Amino acid sequence: MSSGLKFGKGHPYDVIVCGAGHAGCEAALASARLGANTLMLTGNLDTIAQMSCNPAIGGQAKGHMVREIDALGGEMAINTDTTAIQFRLLNASKGPAVQAPRAQCDKKAYQYRMKHVLELQENLDLFQAMVQGLIYEGSKVVGVRTNLEVEFYARTVVVTTGTFLRGLMHVGKNTNKGGRMGDFSEEGLSGSFLEAGIELERLKTGTPARILGSSIDFSQLEEQKGDIDPTLFAFYDTRGIENMFHVEQSEKNVRNSEHELFHVEHPHQRKLGWLPGQEQVSCWMTYTGATTRQVVTDNLHLSPMYSGQIEGTGPRYCPSIEDKFVRFADKERHMLFLEPEGRNTNEWYINGLSTSLPFGVQLDMLRSIEGLEGVHMMRPAYAVEYDFAPPTQLFSSLESKKVENLFFAGQINGTSGYEEAAGQGLIAGVNAVQKIRGQEALVLKRHEAYLGVLIDDLVTKGTKEPYRMFSSRAEHRLLFNHPSAELRLLDTIESMQLVDEQRLKRIKEKSSKVLEWTDRLELERKAGESYALHLRRSHSQEDFPEAMKAESKEVREEVHYRVVFKGYLDRELKQIEKLKHIDKIKLPEGFDFSEVKGLRSESAQKLIEIAPSSLGQASRISGVNPADISILMVHLEARYGKSAR
Amino acid sequence: MPAADTIVALSSPAGESAIALIRLTGPACAELALAITQRSKPLKKRYAHFAKYIDVNGKQIDECVFTYYIDGQSFTGESMLEIAPHGNPMIVQKILADLMARGCRPAEPGEFTRTAFLNGRMDLSQAEAISDLIRARSDRSLEVAQRQLHGSVGRKMSELTERLLGVMAQLEAYIDFPEEDLPGEDQVGPASELRKLTEEMGDLIETQRYSALLHEGIKTLIIGEPNVGKSSLINALTGAERSIVSDMPGTTRDYISAFMMVGPWRIEILDTAGLHEAGDAIEKIGIVHTIEQSETADFFLLVLDANMPSPTLPDSLLRRMNPANTIVIENKKDLPSAQSFADYLPNFKHVSTSLLERTGLAELRETWQKSIDDSLTHGQSDGVVVNARHAASLIEAVDALGLASSKLKSGDHSELIVADMRDAVEHIGQVVGRVDNERMLDRLFKQFCIGK
Repeated sequence: MSSGLKFGKGHPYDVIVCGAGHAGCEAALASARLGANTLMLTGNLDTIAQMSCNPAIGGQAKGHMVREIDALGGEMAINTDTTAIQFRLLNASKGPAVQAPRAQCDKKAYQYRMKHVLELQENLDLFQAMVQGLIYEGSKVVGVRTNLEVEFYARTVVVTTGTFLRGLMHVGKNTNKGGRMGDFSEEGLSGSFLEAGIELERLKTGTPARILGSSIDFSQLEEQKGDIDPTLFAFYDTRGIENMFHVEQSEKNVRNSEHELFHVEHPHQRKLGWLPGQEQVSCWMTYTGATTRQVVTDNLHLSPMYSGQIEGTGPRYCPSIEDKFVRFADKERHMLFLEPEGRNTNEWYINGLSTSLPFGVQLDMLRSIEGLEGVHMMRPAYAVEYDFAPPTQLFSSLESKKVENLFFAGQINGTSGYEEAAGQGLIAGVNAVQKIRGQEALVLKRHEAYLGVLIDDLVTKGTKEPYRMFSSRAEHRLLFNHPSAELRLLDTIESMQLVDEQRLKRIKEKSSKVLEWTDRLELERKAGESYALHLRRSHSQEDFPEAMKAESKEVREEVHYRVVFKGYLDRELKQIEKLKHIDKIKLPEGFDFSEVKGLRSESAQKLIEIAPSSLGQASRISGVNPADISILMVHLEARYGKSAR
Repeated sequence: MPAADTIVALSSPAGESAIALIRLTGPACAELALAITQRSKPLKKRYAHFAKYIDVNGKQIDECVFTYYIDGQSFTGESMLEIAPHGNPMIVQKILADLMARGCRPAEPGEFTRTAFLNGRMDLSQAEAISDLIRARSDRSLEVAQRQLHGSVGRKMSELTERLLGVMAQLEAYIDFPEEDLPGEDQVGPASELRKLTEEMGDLIETQRYSALLHEGIKTLIIGEPNVGKSSLINALTGAERSIVSDMPGTTRDYISAFMMVGPWRIEILDTAGLHEAGDAIEKIGIVHTIEQSETADFFLLVLDANMPSPTLPDSLLRRMNPANTIVIENKKDLPSAQSFADYLPNFKHVSTSLLERTGLAELRETWQKSIDDSLTHGQSDGVVVNARHAASLIEAVDALGLASSKLKSGDHSELIVADMRDAVEHIGQVVGRVDNERMLDRLFKQFCIGK
């Protein structure tokens, strides 16, 4: 809710967020919710929170991050729950730590709702303008220049440019400037970064073709239904009628008037929105056909990936169909998922068919696929190259080391994925505010959350391909069962005041119940043995004491996990304890590694390049060995005394 | 890192001495002191206790002096135990191995000093000086480690690591990519590969028995009659590389000991008194000492003067020598009267040299290295010898893999199996350097076609 747009040097905002994708939305909301006066600038207000690739949120490790974002007061989880058209819990047959929620979303509904939330947010102004340059004063950023020749000033700036920086799209030999098909690119801002000494490199990503649902022969395909009992992302229940997805046109509740209630119309239904999990829509599975390989391999020379036309590095985990046929030549066929883009659209996404082959070849390829013989392509697949700023140039707070008060989040940091972007956006938004207030930055530890692993990996190791989270990247993933996000992050939620009092109270109550029951099951006995022992043998909640059956499902499941897997969890905690103290030893900002006597030159060089902020971070840099850490410790002690610890 | 672990290191210089000093610091010291000495009463602090060292299997290793320091009153600031056994490398090695079996961890270079700093046991003025000291120590150990890591140990360890990551990748693929079209999840393949890995690592651990040789150096005696060129030989061999030269008292005629490298092997080379049966009293004592030294020697260089009659070796010495552990050096080949000694000890390897003209040394080194290679390395472990530190890490890795295997068998969740395997990789990482998860992902994306 705007208090009136402020522009010009005399009227600075607290925080300006450049970009309105998944990172930008969380950054702007986090900042405004913490009470900072915030401006969100976007080149196109109609594409807020656009899902540029597949219309899905969550999945392994990503679903975990969405739950962490929710725990930290972010919007992605609620937005997903209220606009999803299919829910599935992945890895249901594996242990709780690696089970992950995933949802297909209604692409447009997702955007509408997010825009609505932004519009209603106190302390937040939205304005449509392209940011073309940053305004610096010395080594600090103080504002932004736009294509309208209007300047906006702020104490901190969060940049979330996605794939728009000098974005170049490829369909075969055809290239177009643009960050996403249908949108323009931003050509000027890169220069502004380079001017400040921020290095830029190129990455590549892509998205498959979209097709018309009525041209698909579903009779040949295998259906994949949603879960009957959906696993939602948000911690507080979104299934009440008040959370039914709708966008109200006024602030007053006008539910009684059906026509003023925004909803996605559906021909066979009454005119009401859907509650999360209601009337889910299926995905469909198919395979590449007998001639698909031939079509692809015959035309390899036309693929810009193979001709060298594309310079940026693409992700290993998201190979194009060209790559799949070349690198896995012995695999006969490749599985594809057809995913609906919404309830009210007949456009479908083909998961598994990324390509940058020319239009004509794409068409031949599509028609070679089972069920798509008569397909109508609505948008071709394309690859997009863009500038990113290698994230080792950032502090763990996501603030630039080169330019003070400038924060980066999302794909500009070399990541891929809506969830990765949203998580960084939230952290950057919080830290932009913390910076203004002179308070300590929010830095999650690697053992606390996937978001901690994400940012630590980025700022410590950097990335050579679009970085996607995998659960295997988290050395302590056994502690990261998705329902525990709220409990794991309780201290941060409280100290940073990320949720309201009432919600904080609920989390605390849940936390103390879980702790209490986890202890009690070890101590209280049944038939001469502790309940815990019974439980570890049977894994069955039948072995809970009577009194516990009255507790909520969340409490019971968390206690069950902690008791049954106690041995593993304790081992993780022990390992964390061992590493804790070196993480606590901070390396002062601007610390001169070249001055440290005795460091091997290879290590010194790496340390200077990455400029770690703690000894723990230093120890995770590849090529830095324990002896180097010893030397650093001794040096710190000598130079700064005990205060260094 | 300090804190949770109890760390152990040999604090006296490597090699023989009257008394060695082994130091432990960390929380388990008090408990270990009781277990090792089998006392019922705690050790008095800062008091020298004379007691038997009893190993985990209940066997006595030595009689030692034990000194215990409580928290806050020790060099490191944490509770500490000093064990002083007799200075025999084999005893020291046994005690170190026993302490590791009891859960101690070998200290990192400079770790005691670092612990002391962190606990405020050293004043700031000492800091820079100590930093240099740590540097010297770590560089040296780094150099040795790198020699090994570039050589056979490194190759073997990276091969094992790579295979272990391959098994992990197979399990991880099904955890991180549940929606992909992967071949059916297979427990048999990973189980049999894990079994093989465990066996090979077991073999590698076995080679630890040679660790003393690596750690202390392969003790090599130069023997021969007076004036055949023994001193010239040691000078020619160690000239540039001599690291430590110590005068060892104990006989009227001191002998020289030096350290050098032959290929990857660390050699402790000892010059001995000349073998001369009918010499004076002093030389007789010298011979007795040479024979004593030969009892613990690993290798012999027998130097002859090619212009003199063949020497007569005392039986007690000859018994110790065999074609595998001895090289006959026919020196002074440059002189016109030189003749061949091929018929003397004909099964032994012979090398001709002229130390005066410095010829034949390269051939000597080559023959020497090959002899050591051949006698130390055999069959299964591909010629790799691990030291106690490597072995300690490998044992932990094997334990972790054992847990993983039994879980595979009982069909436990794969993320739990992977957790054990990660432990194993961590332990191996202490030998080969930290193994980044990226390497596992590389394997994964090579093995499986994954992606939307």
